[in-house]
Amino acid sequence: MAPMSVGQPFRLPEELRSEHGKITRLSWLSVVLLVVAATLLFFTLGQSQAMKTAWVSDVLTAIPPIALLVAMRYELREPSKRFPNGYSRAVSVAFLVTASMLSLIGLYLLYDSLTKLIRREHPPIGTIELFGHQLWLGWAMVGSLFFSMCVGIVLGKLKAPVAEKLHSKAVQAEAEMNQAEWMSEGAAIVGILLVAFGFWWGDSAAAAFISVEIIRDGWHNVRQVIGDLMDESPTKLGKRDLEELPEKVRDAARRLPWVADAGTRLREHGHAVTGEVFVVPRSGAGMDAAQLVRAADGATKELEGLDWRLHGIVVVPVSALESSIPPRVGETDGAQR
Amino acid sequence: MSSTHRLTLLLAVLATAACNLPRDPDGTLDRVRGGTMRVGMVVDTPWVTDSAEGAGGIERTIVNDLARELGAKVEWHKGTAEHLLEALHDRDLDLVIGGFTASSPWKQQVALTKPYYTDTTMVRGKRKEEPHAVAVAPGENAWQVRVEQLLRGKKNEFPAMRHAWPR
Repeated sequence: MAPMSVGQPFRLPEELRSEHGKITRLSWLSVVLLVVAATLLFFTLGQSQAMKTAWVSDVLTAIPPIALLVAMRYELREPSKRFPNGYSRAVSVAFLVTASMLSLIGLYLLYDSLTKLIRREHPPIGTIELFGHQLWLGWAMVGSLFFSMCVGIVLGKLKAPVAEKLHSKAVQAEAEMNQAEWMSEGAAIVGILLVAFGFWWGDSAAAAFISVEIIRDGWHNVRQVIGDLMDESPTKLGKRDLEELPEKVRDAARRLPWVADAGTRLREHGHAVTGEVFVVPRSGAGMDAAQLVRAADGATKELEGLDWRLHGIVVVPVSALESSIPPRVGETDGAQR
Repeated sequence: MSSTHRLTLLLAVLATAACNLPRDPDGTLDRVRGGTMRVGMVVDTPWVTDSAEGAGGIERTIVNDLARELGAKVEWHKGTAEHLLEALHDRDLDLVIGGFTASSPWKQQVALTKPYYTDTTMVRGKRKEEPHAVAVAPGENAWQVRVEQLLRGKKNEFPAMRHAWPR
């Protein structure tokens, strides 16, 4: 049997490795498309607050894929003496940074838009020369917003299935963010159209709506990543519901012939799920120390085989166990909405 | 998919409506047409010069052409940039001329048109490009579009006018 290694690198199963490469390609595609969309928006900004906010929101959605690209360079690295747990949490770190930034910028934009609304600032939108024609800049704005909207929808549609397969919260959040972009761009289009019809408030009202969307997005993600950093039990993708995986591992451990009782304490490390499995050997099993160690090693291997995400599980034999944990105060079964 | 169709339909309807858009929240263009155009002037030779009746100078011709094309009579207000632009921001004036450039510190408070002429000056031995614009009431977009259309049409007249003045 291979010796237990203190620092084992997390490996994606063969069939999912192509998905990992897909994330890299999708992230690059996102960055390129979002930069093109942001450039288009930038050239048609004018003095519209809605455009400014939509532009910032567009630039912001380009940051998570960049952060993910950076984090993914680290994620599958071999553990080192300094980081014996490996680098799987690099994605959580990237996530925390982008989500907090998102919330803060959203708050600033909301303040900015509401001030303009309260001060009754009328947005001036002049003309632009396109291919020798003089055109109201508002129409060019609607055009670039529409392009940006399509980019978001397409990226979201491409990312969602990959996130599902890899159980990647970061990619899932990105897909959601890309898909939610249509609301921002749609709101900005409505805002510009309102301005076209002479309703000046349409611009800053749309901007305020977009800012709220940015804040909501950021807050949702901050909350999720805080859960990760607090060693929350594994949760379902894109939801707050707890996963069944810890129970599945516990039940499998209880089914082992030499185990009388078992309990788990699992947490998520990026794509991986790791933690401890406590087992109480049957008193009648009559195992000596060597047999017990062999049995525990075998159990580790067997339990890790239950799900590709399980990695670095530690099986700890104990003499007695209180295996149930009460749900959090105010929750019935951890399945709080 | 049906939402996409609805969107296409909406865009088609909008495209036909686009001819009369954008509109002014305060109806400046409609009011000026056949009525009175309230123009603020800040003296800045050669762009705006002082004269017996209203302004003179290069930007006077812009006001003249606008008034003629819209059948409006001009009501002149002479003053400092600060006062006039504040009045423009509050839409108590329709247009302010005063040799403003695109980098004017007032550009966020009022609506500067697209530059109509780029002047080259020497500042401390360095060539400096100064794109000149006029200021219109902010958010009166039909009005701004109308003024910018006129400026674009007059584009070729400005260099000669500028050269008529000594540097």
